[in-house]
Amino acid sequence: MTGVKSAVGGAARQAAAGLPRLLPPVPGDAEDLNAHLTRHGRLRYHGTALLHAVKAAGLTGRGGAAFPTHVKLTAAKAAGRPVVVANGAESEPASEKDAALLYHAPHLVLDGLVLAAEAVGAGRAYLYLHAGHAGRIQQALTERRRVRLDAVAITVAEAPARFLAGQETALVSRISGGPALPTFDSRRVTERGILVQNVETLAHLALISRYGPDWFRERGTRDEPGTMLLTLHAGGRPRVTEQPIGVPLSAALGVPDAAAVLVGGYHGTWLPAAAVPALTLDNAALRRHGASLGAGVLAALPHGSCGLVETARVTRYLAAESAGQCGPCLNGLPRIAAALAELAGPRPRRSTLHDVERWAGLVTGRGACHHPDGTARFVRSALTVFGAELKRHASGECTATDREPVLPLPPGYAAPTTDEEWR
Amino acid sequence: MTSSTALWYASRATGVVALILLTVVFAAGIGISRQVRIPGLPRFAVTDLHRNLSLLAVAFVAVHVISAVLDTFVSIPVLSAVIPFASGYERFWLGLGAVCFDLMLAMIVTSLVRGRLNRHAWLAVHLTAYLSWPVAFLHSIYSSGDLRHGVLLELSLGCAAIVGAAVTWRLVSVARRLPRAQRVAAQLAAAQLAAAQTTRTLPPRTAR
Repeated sequence: MTGVKSAVGGAARQAAAGLPRLLPPVPGDAEDLNAHLTRHGRLRYHGTALLHAVKAAGLTGRGGAAFPTHVKLTAAKAAGRPVVVANGAESEPASEKDAALLYHAPHLVLDGLVLAAEAVGAGRAYLYLHAGHAGRIQQALTERRRVRLDAVAITVAEAPARFLAGQETALVSRISGGPALPTFDSRRVTERGILVQNVETLAHLALISRYGPDWFRERGTRDEPGTMLLTLHAGGRPRVTEQPIGVPLSAALGVPDAAAVLVGGYHGTWLPAAAVPALTLDNAALRRHGASLGAGVLAALPHGSCGLVETARVTRYLAAESAGQCGPCLNGLPRIAAALAELAGPRPRRSTLHDVERWAGLVTGRGACHHPDGTARFVRSALTVFGAELKRHASGECTATDREPVLPLPPGYAAPTTDEEWR
Repeated sequence: MTSSTALWYASRATGVVALILLTVVFAAGIGISRQVRIPGLPRFAVTDLHRNLSLLAVAFVAVHVISAVLDTFVSIPVLSAVIPFASGYERFWLGLGAVCFDLMLAMIVTSLVRGRLNRHAWLAVHLTAYLSWPVAFLHSIYSSGDLRHGVLLELSLGCAAIVGAAVTWRLVSVARRLPRAQRVAAQLAAAQLAAAQTTRTLPPRTAR
């Protein structure tokens, strides 16, 4: 085993200079352990040295919150005998980057999970996934067990197919044997001794362990170094690509012209087409427009599609995905969804727009999780960006020439009817 | 009324007021547990009403007890206010009063330190309200004959009717409650129904 690792050190370094960093260089490849080790070589930084390297690299969480990874690692280590969980249960219908990473480069994620577990002194490591993706990972785990690669045992835990299943507290509840429902606890999950990291974050960690923080910073911006995986919806099937943070947004998107752009997924923000040329793919630039990268979903709304119709469709889905636990979310989101359906149709009542704005304010910040907040942000940005379209609908017209849905939703989704659907 | 009977009357009067207050507190408590909205009041005001009236009831119960102890017409030892069945006079029915007072104190102390308590521990203590109200009622009716005839009888029957109605309503509302997993679907259906009359879909415009 070590023979393979040491023999390829130089070649691996060379390969690592380019892009993509995480995904295989040949699109569509699914790397087995041999290919993985040949490409990336041996791990260099471990334990405390790795914590320092992660801090120097400035790695941030790729699950959506962009929280500094070393802060979480340090806090988890301080909690004593923590548990580490790799979160691969990406439940956003528009995001496919975690699934793609787990399929194409599972060993990078597993390397990162084991490294993180060792660095914080964890006795147990979990990989939290949707049922459909477990097969490929079990295969990768078998390969690793055969050569006794890992000192920490990895348990695969399965998430139900619900939007909130990947939410941090829902994940903890599920792994503890309960339903995958968000819970409220005044202490943060990390302070409770549970380190939850997105699978992409862990894959970056595995690369930082090999090539070091300076290499990591060769891409990206000073404040947001590195690359990130994106799921692009720009006509045709969604594509997963890897881009350095800070590249022009229009270059990352790859379409010359769009009516509007959705950044950050269904808890994200609509941006007007006019704002896009001046924007770059980083939170510092997007924050000025009230947007953030989230988990890296970018969707271009083509001319000839109605942004209000798209927003109404997605909002109805988000309302159906409420856990039904907190009053503002349970009562508010269905009403917002129904009102948006009205706004997406001809001649909505005047009071409806006012109602949506009021309800969006009333649900924000009042849930155990951020589902109502994220939904309200998405809805409000639509009302701002599609203001002209709202006026057209008021007079019974719509710019759409095409009723084909743009944003993906799970086929035939429905609100759950039994508690079993949360397990 | 002479000065020698003033304490006796004070004890009776505060006792009656305390019974009325505890009845309202009880009903408000059930209202909170089922998230009831009183017209014209925000929800948190129901909670405040419940809390403040219960503290007021404690004040009335305190005067009720102290005046009964100080009154010399019958001899009631101080300790019998908190130790059940320690009074020679009306041992059983006064004892029930002490039981109720102790339960009230337990509920108030656990509510004051609620932030430091396990939620289930707090709830377990608070559920004794269902025990303490009937105990207070029996104490009221049987400790002396005042509440067994006339206007005061009607008043106490009214209190009992309010409590009975509140408990019945609570049981019915629990039985009718949707399981958590079905609530979102129900809300979606209701919101859609409400909007159905006004919502239509625009036909796509033909491309130019």
